[in-house]
Amino acid sequence: MSSDTPEPTAAPGPARRSFLRGMAGGVAGGVIAGGAAGAAAGYAYRGAPADPAAAANAAVAGGRLPAVPFHGKYQAGILPESSRATAVVSFEATAANRAELTDLFQTVTDRARFLTAGGTPPPVGIDGPPSDSGVLGPTVVPDGLTVTFGVGSTLFDDRYGLAAVRPVHLTPMTSFPNDDLDPAQCGGDLILQLSAGNADTVIHALRDIAKNTRGGMQINWRIDGFASPARPAGTVPRNLMGFMDGIANPSVTSAPQLDSLVWVDPSTSREPSWTAGGSYLVVRLIRMFVEFWDRVDIEEQETMIGRRRATGFPLDADSLYATPDYANDPTGDVIPLTAHMRLANPRTPQSASSQILRRAYNYDRGIDQVGDLDMGLIFTCFQQDIGRQFATVQTRLIGEPLIDYISPFGGGYFLALPGVSGPSDYYGRALLA
Amino acid sequence: MGTRRLRVAAQFAAVGAALAASLTACSSGGGQPSNVITVSSAQCGGGWSVPGPGWHTIQISNQGTGGAEIDLVDPANGAVYAEIENTGPGTVNPIDIDFGSGKYALLCLFSDYGPLQGPVVTVAGHAAGTPAVLPITYNQLIPLAKTYAGQEETAIKVMASETATLAAAVRSGSLTTARRDWLTAHLQYESLGDAYDAFGNFDTEIDGRADPVGVTSPQWTGFFRLEYGLWHGQSLASLAPVASTLNRYVDQLVTWWPTQEVPLADLGRRAHEVIENALEFQLTGHDDYGSGTTLASTLAAITASRVLLGLLHPLLAPRYPELPAVYSALSLLQSLLEKERLANGWWVPVSALPSATRQAIDAACGQVLQELAPIASITEPRNTANEF
Repeated sequence: MSSDTPEPTAAPGPARRSFLRGMAGGVAGGVIAGGAAGAAAGYAYRGAPADPAAAANAAVAGGRLPAVPFHGKYQAGILPESSRATAVVSFEATAANRAELTDLFQTVTDRARFLTAGGTPPPVGIDGPPSDSGVLGPTVVPDGLTVTFGVGSTLFDDRYGLAAVRPVHLTPMTSFPNDDLDPAQCGGDLILQLSAGNADTVIHALRDIAKNTRGGMQINWRIDGFASPARPAGTVPRNLMGFMDGIANPSVTSAPQLDSLVWVDPSTSREPSWTAGGSYLVVRLIRMFVEFWDRVDIEEQETMIGRRRATGFPLDADSLYATPDYANDPTGDVIPLTAHMRLANPRTPQSASSQILRRAYNYDRGIDQVGDLDMGLIFTCFQQDIGRQFATVQTRLIGEPLIDYISPFGGGYFLALPGVSGPSDYYGRALLA
Repeated sequence: MGTRRLRVAAQFAAVGAALAASLTACSSGGGQPSNVITVSSAQCGGGWSVPGPGWHTIQISNQGTGGAEIDLVDPANGAVYAEIENTGPGTVNPIDIDFGSGKYALLCLFSDYGPLQGPVVTVAGHAAGTPAVLPITYNQLIPLAKTYAGQEETAIKVMASETATLAAAVRSGSLTTARRDWLTAHLQYESLGDAYDAFGNFDTEIDGRADPVGVTSPQWTGFFRLEYGLWHGQSLASLAPVASTLNRYVDQLVTWWPTQEVPLADLGRRAHEVIENALEFQLTGHDDYGSGTTLASTLAAITASRVLLGLLHPLLAPRYPELPAVYSALSLLQSLLEKERLANGWWVPVSALPSATRQAIDAACGQVLQELAPIASITEPRNTANEF
């Protein structure tokens, strides 16, 4: 069947999304000051100040976390501690060419700028479906949303003419000896991590960004996660093995530590200049065999990890943040040489430069073929150099006793882009310009 | 070539906290808003005003005895800024828009009463606001629906001859011919745009999926049942009754169709529904019962959508500024699909597509749907002051 009605030929595209830039200035409203302890240094904490815990908890429960300032030298989602809800989403770029890829990055920037600030979408008109999903009600609340946008090595193939400016350490993810990687859940041209105080805020942001970028990128894989509240209060959130996760991390308030461990710096490396202010992001999706784990006695669990399960204390100490004294335990009588904590961070002068900024989330997504619970860890970490840091740490962990209880099955290596400096800037401008 | 557009429409731009503040100010605290406008079948809003250009909410209080549709219109030409489709007696409903400089009036359409337009309200200055859309009336859509019904009737008759040929081929015992004739007839059916029960029960009989009954059920009839048999080694002798039954149902459809009226709102809706259907059932591979031709079925859905767009084009062109983007998105999807046609006339099955190819097709389809989405709203038939 065919139509005799003449159709117009496709007109030249409208001026390339110029309205995006036009509206940009008017969008970023609703920023509530507060909770930005580190704003002066170019980053912010997601939550309220650490003072009255009750107030902070109420803010989380009520979805009232303040806006995290979007603009800055670095992306705002890198330094804050894990928020309650996250989604990690990998995309294939389907933009046809460099100009469309630029449009895509501008559109993601624009949506992120609005979503992180919050505000009221236009009312429902008669000229189309509603512009907003309505998942957050008539007014989009910031709820501490951060949008972290990154690129994978495959973006630097021949499609967009970017091969010459590939970040030096950006490669496909290494498959380590204990991995069981599913290609369908690995890699991607682009990575988007959305984190906020509540799952509805994360889902709202994902739907908004996806609907505005339909032709430009297509989801490869995604995983949703959550961070638990610290139990007991004042400690560190636990993973689904029951252990506190991410106790020893570089200080996010120490500029020297961040400059030497987290931020990419082309002035002191061979990295292309556009990467200044970026940070390598490693995502590892790790199944935990929790039924098996729950059948392991506590002493074995604790010696595999190197910490007490109840308190998080190192086995040789009586406080959470105590530095384990490996020098006085050279044969591992107290903390075995193969304990996860000891292999990951031997606390030697030589290992200091391999530290990573860990930001872990738990995932929980149904069951496997034998009816066991499919849950585990979305391990994310930020660093200056994947080879020197994550890959070195992971190499030390090869063969650790813990591997019987976990199975890395997905993830990827990415470069989290430099921050968006202001209303006229956009993600990857220096890359795409 | 034009650059594909990732965004849908400029009017979807979000507005920030300034709006929130404005709305808060307008609807003042303490429950009852200050800017309530009373309407009834006798009076469509007395004197009312807004402070000036910008985002404002007005509250429409229906003090009539029945339900009504209340529109905010441009009195010069009847273009609609906003509408409340159903407001019950005794209820208060908001209209919030960005008032630009110009003239506004309420139009009250109470059941059992003629249209009533209220006083003209002038907003001073030189500010642009929410654009008004010229309503499309029932009278504008009726001839299009008749034309559409006629085109469909012709196409259904073509399909009837094709299913007769198909039934003969199955009876003749040539698998090659039967398969080829199946594809011809089935694509004709898919190009009719039968989304969401346009053909009533006939869709189940002619193109029903196995899902509810299972592939071995004698209740399963139609194109997919035949496809399953033709590609799963079932004997042509056993399939001959299936093909004959299919042909009989199609003949019945030929008789039934002219007795039906196409709902006017379906013209705009179906333009995207047929592609939504293709995304859900064809691009997923769900409707592949062995022939591997769901990409061809997706192309047929594009044909169906283009038929509707062609009919609606004169109405859409002045009302939908992004219409060219609809066509360029459709063309991109079409060109990606056509690349998967094999030299022998068959198609690459969705399940055999390389991942990057499949993602490109899915992304292009998503973009088509995003661009098509406003059309149903724009082409919904509306009452006006002159036509009711």
